[in-house]
Amino acid sequence: MSRQIINLTVNGDRHEIAVAPNQTLLEVLRDELGLSGTKRGCTSGACGVCTVQQEDGRAVLSCLALAVEWDGRAVTTIEGIAEPGQLHPVQAAFLEYGAVQCGFCTPGLIMTAKALLDTDPTPDEAAINEAMAGAICRCTGHIKVKIAIREAVQQALREREPDAAPT
Amino acid sequence: MQLPSFEYLRPATLREGLDWLSEPGTDTAVVAGGSDLLVNMKLGLVTPKRLVSICDLPGMQDVTEDADGGLRIGAGCKLTDLLQHETVTGNYPALADAIRAVGSQHVRNMGTLGGNLCLPTRCWYTNQSEQWRESRQPCFKTDGELCHVIKSSARCHSLNSSDTAPALIALGASVTLASRDGTRELPVADLYFDDGVDYMTMRPGEILTEIHLPPPTGVSAFIKVAQRNGLDYAAGTIAGWFDGAAARLVLGSIGSHPVSLPKAADLVVAGGLGTKTIDAAADAARADLGEVSNLFSPPGYKRRLARSLVRRVLEQLADLQGGGK
Amino acid sequence: MPRRPDFSAVGHSQPRLDGTDKVTGRSLFTDDVVLPGMLCGRVLRCPLPRARLLNIDTSRAEALPGVKAVVTAQDAAGIWLGINQPLLSPEILNHVGQEVAAVAATDEDTAREALKLIRVDYEPLPELKDMKAALAPGAPLLHAKAKGNIAWEQADDHGDPDAAFAAAHHVRTDHYVTNPTHNCYAEFHVAVADFTRSDKLTVWTPTQSALLFQKSLAAGFKLPDSGVRIMCLNSGGGFTGRTATRPHHFLAALLSRKSGRPVKIRATGDEEFIMCRAGGRVEYRFRSGVDRDGRLKVVDADLLFDTGGYVESQMIVILLTSSYLDALYPVEATRYRGRLVHTNNLPYYFHHGGGLAQFQFAFGQHVNSLALDLGMDPVDFHLLNAVEKGHTTLRGTHYASCGLKECIRKTARQAGWKQKRRRKEPLKGIGIGIGAMASGAKGLFKHDTSAAFIKVGDDGKATLFVGLPDMGQSSHTAMAIIAAEVLGIAPTDITVASGDTDLDPLDVGAFTQRGTFNTGNAVKNASLDARKQIAKTAAAELGVRPSQLKFSHGQITVKNQPDKVMPFAKAVFNTLHSQEGRFVMGRGFYNSPLESGSMAYSFGAQIAEVSVDPDTGVVTVEKVTAAHDVGRAINPRIVEGQIDGQIFSGMSQALFEECVMDDGQVLNPSRLDYKMPRAWEMPEVEHIIVESVDPHGPFGAKEVGEGPIVCTMQAIANAVADAIGEPVTEMPIAPWRVLKILGRRKDVA
Repeated sequence: MSRQIINLTVNGDRHEIAVAPNQTLLEVLRDELGLSGTKRGCTSGACGVCTVQQEDGRAVLSCLALAVEWDGRAVTTIEGIAEPGQLHPVQAAFLEYGAVQCGFCTPGLIMTAKALLDTDPTPDEAAINEAMAGAICRCTGHIKVKIAIREAVQQALREREPDAAPT
Repeated sequence: MQLPSFEYLRPATLREGLDWLSEPGTDTAVVAGGSDLLVNMKLGLVTPKRLVSICDLPGMQDVTEDADGGLRIGAGCKLTDLLQHETVTGNYPALADAIRAVGSQHVRNMGTLGGNLCLPTRCWYTNQSEQWRESRQPCFKTDGELCHVIKSSARCHSLNSSDTAPALIALGASVTLASRDGTRELPVADLYFDDGVDYMTMRPGEILTEIHLPPPTGVSAFIKVAQRNGLDYAAGTIAGWFDGAAARLVLGSIGSHPVSLPKAADLVVAGGLGTKTIDAAADAARADLGEVSNLFSPPGYKRRLARSLVRRVLEQLADLQGGGK
Repeated sequence: MPRRPDFSAVGHSQPRLDGTDKVTGRSLFTDDVVLPGMLCGRVLRCPLPRARLLNIDTSRAEALPGVKAVVTAQDAAGIWLGINQPLLSPEILNHVGQEVAAVAATDEDTAREALKLIRVDYEPLPELKDMKAALAPGAPLLHAKAKGNIAWEQADDHGDPDAAFAAAHHVRTDHYVTNPTHNCYAEFHVAVADFTRSDKLTVWTPTQSALLFQKSLAAGFKLPDSGVRIMCLNSGGGFTGRTATRPHHFLAALLSRKSGRPVKIRATGDEEFIMCRAGGRVEYRFRSGVDRDGRLKVVDADLLFDTGGYVESQMIVILLTSSYLDALYPVEATRYRGRLVHTNNLPYYFHHGGGLAQFQFAFGQHVNSLALDLGMDPVDFHLLNAVEKGHTTLRGTHYASCGLKECIRKTARQAGWKQKRRRKEPLKGIGIGIGAMASGAKGLFKHDTSAAFIKVGDDGKATLFVGLPDMGQSSHTAMAIIAAEVLGIAPTDITVASGDTDLDPLDVGAFTQRGTFNTGNAVKNASLDARKQIAKTAAAELGVRPSQLKFSHGQITVKNQPDKVMPFAKAVFNTLHSQEGRFVMGRGFYNSPLESGSMAYSFGAQIAEVSVDPDTGVVTVEKVTAAHDVGRAINPRIVEGQIDGQIFSGMSQALFEECVMDDGQVLNPSRLDYKMPRAWEMPEVEHIIVESVDPHGPFGAKEVGEGPIVCTMQAIANAVADAIGEPVTEMPIAPWRVLKILGRRKDVA
């Protein structure tokens, strides 16, 4: 099985990597690039812990993405969503509102939530449920996760229009 | 779970893809999105030696309106993209609702309409790891001579759980199948066999390239019932379409193929969408229903559900009609 | 709520201290551990429910390039799991998926290939599909010592149940079933073992008890406890599923010893369901009697537990369930019989909820039905019957604090119970569940000790060492809050060091809800010890007695002398930078003074509101109102999070979760087909925290780790019964079970 060279941009950094056709994006991120923030869960698309973002901001499952299909493409992982020493507003809200327990599914939940807000900055309850339905979290039972997302939305609104948004 | 080894091919043209697909003895499969195929490969359920990726082929991701008012959708269109297409959501609500019902948003971001139409049938005796399957005698799907689901049966009862297939059948859609010999059009209704092993009528060497929707007429609706809202295979789905002169009702996730309900549809054509007709059609649906799979839930449950689904979709169509649509 | 004492840390919501690492993906879990030369381990499993191993040939696997070790029964001689399971059985195999051999190779592809090259000949033996088959006369015996396939039996009377039944005004009998589940934590089972040195085994793994893992592996490999080092970086959830070692821990170690290289074994896909071994099927029979006034007088319970092919620790479930018969109501007599039955199913361990939440699904419905028999409102029944502070049960359990009636009253008021029951809408239901839960339970060892060290640096910051794992419940942050309260500094001034048995003080572990109570008391004691050392310096410098000092907000002040003050950091600095050079290091431990059982119990009540779709049988939980007496909420938002998670899990088990078994095999071993609800399904949750301030708890705190889940399933079940007119007696309350009842009850829909 011959490897082939792909050009993959991860969090803005360009990598030239030799990958086998049967390697998934998840395996390349974790095993080749050492980016262990993206977690290995069910590896069959049902749990959401391996969620990353593609170029248009949408959430995709790195366990079901063939690395060879990512030649010339760019991916954002949990390691690349905030400036050094800072937290992305979704990360900050998860921390503040108790949406983090064991932390294993947290990177996937945060990437899923960020993908939602990147494509729909003011999601209603149904949109939040729809986006988060691809991920599972037994610890929090999704309750504080949804609160954190709603709070991140409110925070963004306040920052955009400091006077208009209700506090 | 890791993927087994294979060779990955990305053709520059459809012709090249078809050539590769037809090379004898190569065990080549088509991948368009991959969210289902790769899971089955990880389970060792299918082990193609070569994968031909068709999503990036010219036209595969196009949506174009026909001169006659119909719609042509490239098989490689991502499901999420279609949900953002106003013609799809505005003119074909049953299809839009069916697409929304597929998997999770993550899956719809990766999966394609063509992929969902070609969704392999599923069963909890075969969609398992190789080591798991070793505990059982081989069944029809794994080169054996029995079905673990319905032990007395002479065929495989794996379930077709495509959410979009019933909707497209109800809407009267057809597909374009390309092969090295040219292309042919086939109604989506004729795309499936009622058999868990040979579930598609596509011939070896064919690629599903396009879905063709007729001009929008009448009213349409789609309903999915699953235990969980999101990322769950359906316990049952139904799609319905009615334009006053003709009607189609199609159940999904009830057997090895989408099940059309002509008797119930005839009652609607004859009697309209009044309460009495709806009740009669729901009863008639039971008669249309052949053997019902007991996969994932008891057979009695699915039968009861089928009746409720027919009633609900017809009530929804009546509402839409009443709303002046 | 009673007036709160002037706490600076306790009772204030503190985001978890390791939260930043968790939200940035920097937290390391076992699968993130990559050691030099590490090999991939895989396990060969038995395909049959019961078989005799005739022959095993590993020569072709061993010859495969890249394979570094293959182990079979002869490598594992003398290693046992639980009572009767050899790690690798040389002869009889008793369940599908039982470990037969294991390989370690340079990569996963090679390891997988090697498994296929191992040739095993099996002779199939007649299997015991279920408890009925196992208990049938003439059934084959799975274990010679387990006569009649009964692996364990406990039967006892307390009081005089026969007399109590004879005197009862009304007696009712009910039967219930709960089905096998999986704990479904996020992180699959995984272990990395480094046994390259024969005298020291190091194992990285998620765990709820490093101590139990250490002892179990040490016994297996005939090492002293100190010869085993357990490294627990982070655990991706526990839910009672990581309390004991599983075969993969031993197999990774065996493979590492044989290959001379570190080995990682990670569950793949369906293997997770074999390795997990959560709770099995339980069949319950309850018979209870009440007097004319509706007072519960006597309870008789007969329980059958499927324990599968082997017995690990299900005896504990028998102990727990038997002790629950008189836990909530001051009954006169109880009769209990519990039997563990061997079948050729997976060897079962614990459901999330330890068996008690499932027991309460059954018992809570039984009691609800009793109340309805008498024409009583279930809330009134509970208020009439519920235990109170100062009560001692038939088994001698004493409740030094108890807010059960307060929980029942508050949740009923908040949920609008009376009004909603009056205005009953069709296919909508409301139900209540109540519960109690021990904060730690002595019984495994003579002690139930947790210990803690705290070192305070001359910058005024502290490092707290505990052996209590944090599987996500935020116990480490709670411990920091307790230490911070004692020392009068901020929780963020404290680093919690844990997860390495070479460094950690002893702790029995994070199960039986013992963390907050036991380790919390240990941390409090260690912090008091450190404070005493600092107080000595401060008292001398301020010219007062140590007992006059008050530690808060980073300052040491003197009671009633506001001008005398000293920064905490300065006092620590001066303690070290003194002639004696005294380094501040506090130590403390806590061990329950009881011989068995617990010093403190949490109590709770939940009210669930549901609606039922008459066409599909799907139950939607619309709202849960939860009131819990946690003694004192150390970290209120985290307490809420614990309640949330358990409502989720309780609802998930009540309505969705079931390992569907067929010939000893799980038919739905995946996160897709093993159903759990997700974002859409979650109800509105309202929390009511009741603080009864336990006299023995640290700052009055009791457990909140499993108290909520024992209430949820019964509350939902009772609500469903209210909606459809009769109870669903089998869990999960799947749509088809609901529709079956609706089909024969035309009066409801």
